[in-house]
Amino acid sequence: MKKRMLARSSFLICCLLVTALTLAACSTNKGSDPKPEESAGATPKTKIAYWTADRHDMDYMQKKVDEYNATNTDNIEVEMKVMADNYNQAVEVAFASNQAPDVLKIYDFQTYVNKGYLTQLDGLLSADLMAKFDGLLVDNVYKLNGKVYTLPNTGQFWRLLYNVDLMEKAGYSEPPKTLDEMVDAAKKITEQGKAEGIYGFASNFKSGSGFTRPAFASGTLDSETGHEGYNFQTGEFDFGMYRDISEALRQIKVDGSLLPGAESLDIDPLRAQFAQGKIGMYVNHSGEPAVYSSQFPTDINWSTAPVPTKDGVIDGVSWVNATGYVGISDKSENKEAAAKFVEYLYSEDLRVDYQEKGLGLSVLPFVNEKAGKPELKGIEGFLPTQYDGIYPATPLSITETKLEGKKAADLFNEYILTGNQDIEAVISDLNSRYGKALAAARSEGLTDIKADPSFSAKKLQGTLGK
Amino acid sequence: MHRSKLGAYLFSFPSFFLTVALGLYPIVWALRYMFFDYQGYGTPRFIGLDNFARVGRDAEFWHSVGNTFVYAGGKLIITLPLSLILAVILNRKLRGRHVFRAIFFLPTIFSASVMSIVFYIVFNSYNGVINQYLLKLGIVSAPVDWLGAGMAMLTTIIIAVWGAVGNYMLLFLAGLQSIPEDIYEAASLDGVNPAQRLWYITIPMLGPVLQMIVMLAITVSLKGYESIMVLTEGGPFGKTEVMYLYLYKLFFPLTTTGTSVQNIGYGSAVGFTTAVIVGLITWMYFWMSKKLNSIY
Repeated sequence: MKKRMLARSSFLICCLLVTALTLAACSTNKGSDPKPEESAGATPKTKIAYWTADRHDMDYMQKKVDEYNATNTDNIEVEMKVMADNYNQAVEVAFASNQAPDVLKIYDFQTYVNKGYLTQLDGLLSADLMAKFDGLLVDNVYKLNGKVYTLPNTGQFWRLLYNVDLMEKAGYSEPPKTLDEMVDAAKKITEQGKAEGIYGFASNFKSGSGFTRPAFASGTLDSETGHEGYNFQTGEFDFGMYRDISEALRQIKVDGSLLPGAESLDIDPLRAQFAQGKIGMYVNHSGEPAVYSSQFPTDINWSTAPVPTKDGVIDGVSWVNATGYVGISDKSENKEAAAKFVEYLYSEDLRVDYQEKGLGLSVLPFVNEKAGKPELKGIEGFLPTQYDGIYPATPLSITETKLEGKKAADLFNEYILTGNQDIEAVISDLNSRYGKALAAARSEGLTDIKADPSFSAKKLQGTLGK
Repeated sequence: MHRSKLGAYLFSFPSFFLTVALGLYPIVWALRYMFFDYQGYGTPRFIGLDNFARVGRDAEFWHSVGNTFVYAGGKLIITLPLSLILAVILNRKLRGRHVFRAIFFLPTIFSASVMSIVFYIVFNSYNGVINQYLLKLGIVSAPVDWLGAGMAMLTTIIIAVWGAVGNYMLLFLAGLQSIPEDIYEAASLDGVNPAQRLWYITIPMLGPVLQMIVMLAITVSLKGYESIMVLTEGGPFGKTEVMYLYLYKLFFPLTTTGTSVQNIGYGSAVGFTTAVIVGLITWMYFWMSKKLNSIY
């Protein structure tokens, strides 16, 4: 009797467990309620889930979302979620488990579109709003195969950040314009301050971005033809565009002007050292003023300048990292409500206020024309100039999935920090391997980015600022 | 079917179901893509054994396999003797032994990622605590680049040992407590010294427990990558790139806001190869320990 009871209850438990797991696995619950909320006597509300990983503006944006929820007349209620690190993975899991948000911040445009996450915006957003982006919608950045999936908003503008006092102490009244001047300045700052632990230059060489931060900024100003090692005119990779900046960084290392331990340095420890007045110069983007106002408040006298080029001549534009802002999930059952919220995010008042608060620098002419000077200390040095521009997308990421051997950034890092290979050998090896990988990616239809013989980065001058 | 058997089947069903759903299914899923070119979207393209040919040519991968042996070997050579010695000492009736056991075990319950961030601060060369002490004591004249190309592997091994010793000490303690006390008493009457006790009584008597602990330690060490990912991301210049970190990056590129193009097809082939390598080493260990058992 007891055994039978045991068997029965075991069977019941198993059935319940399996049912629960099956229901959980097959659940179609979204990031928000897909259907309008029905409650007795109240007008139904359409709930929209909005995901972002931006933390620097989360208090401001939450306030704006709350305002929208309180004032919109479409009965839309937006729930904003600020995700932690590994946002792309969270998005992937959400789409795989049918729990995707209705509106999501874009961090990897091509992958999101290729995976079918995003819906087409032209036709969904009003023609008036779309007209404001005329001439700005770059292929493979906001558009794919002629369809618009996201829109520009703010961008990261790249500059040389320098400690004014250290520079003056080393005998310089103005920041370096050429790479040779940068190497000399780094050397002199180090000579002056080494006893106090002060070094002329730093970059976060723990990852490939230790190279790409200074190299992409200097390279795009220097070169009329390329970005991310890709020559738009020939449609092939040519890493020769980073020869000069790599040699300059190598010389800084050889001179002993590089912050010790730079090969394991992360960006935040670098910022902490700069805030303490231990670093003369480094290259980074327009997120830095916010960092030195809240994350690492500092009293040091710092300023910015255009990133030096080989001979001080500017043939291109400094690349602006202006990825798409938000997109609407293709799986959303409330696309029209989501579109209304996106229109609110692009409303002129919100964007102008956002810019004036110094939360981000807009790449939108209709915002820059109206916005006053941002309040944030140091942001003025990052405001768009005629030498900032948005480049077309390159096939770098997809090419690297086919690449055999070390990636370009890792190899350049190794050259800069060890010098164990000749720079010409590094460039030749990279051109050959990236060329093969790009050919493989093209033959498999993984990218449709082709040569554009008419491309000239000079034509991008003046597109974002004067 | 006998009722007691039915009960056994029913009780084992939930774990069987979970094993299939969460263990076997992902393996079969990955195995399928070994023969495909697949970036996580679009239609996977069948390419036969091309991914394995690429594994064979991939110097970066084989370099990471070499690094894994250095990392795992270094960790095992230090961890196992140290945790056994600690276990033997703390198995004696010392005052405060429970407190010491808890202290040594503590690192096991801390998150490896969080502790790696702390160690990053401790070991960094420009203002790390370790360098500050070494400089103050006059042991070194210039800061040591603990996370630089020359020292990064040693530093990651030291951190791995710190995290593992307590865990293996506890396993050894469990084994030691199963050794009858009268054997030690008889040995002490025969005038056996502590080293002889350890070598001729404790280690042989640990027998199967020791065998299991060593096997566990080998597989865990070969698969370890979490602290390295936080501490060095496999750098500088791939000096600490171990094979599971290399594999992880193929499936989940280390980026929060950058491109996240996955390499699922090739990653699956690399995953299979790493599993074969770990499996082979474990099998070799079992085979050797069985041979040794039959000799002694």
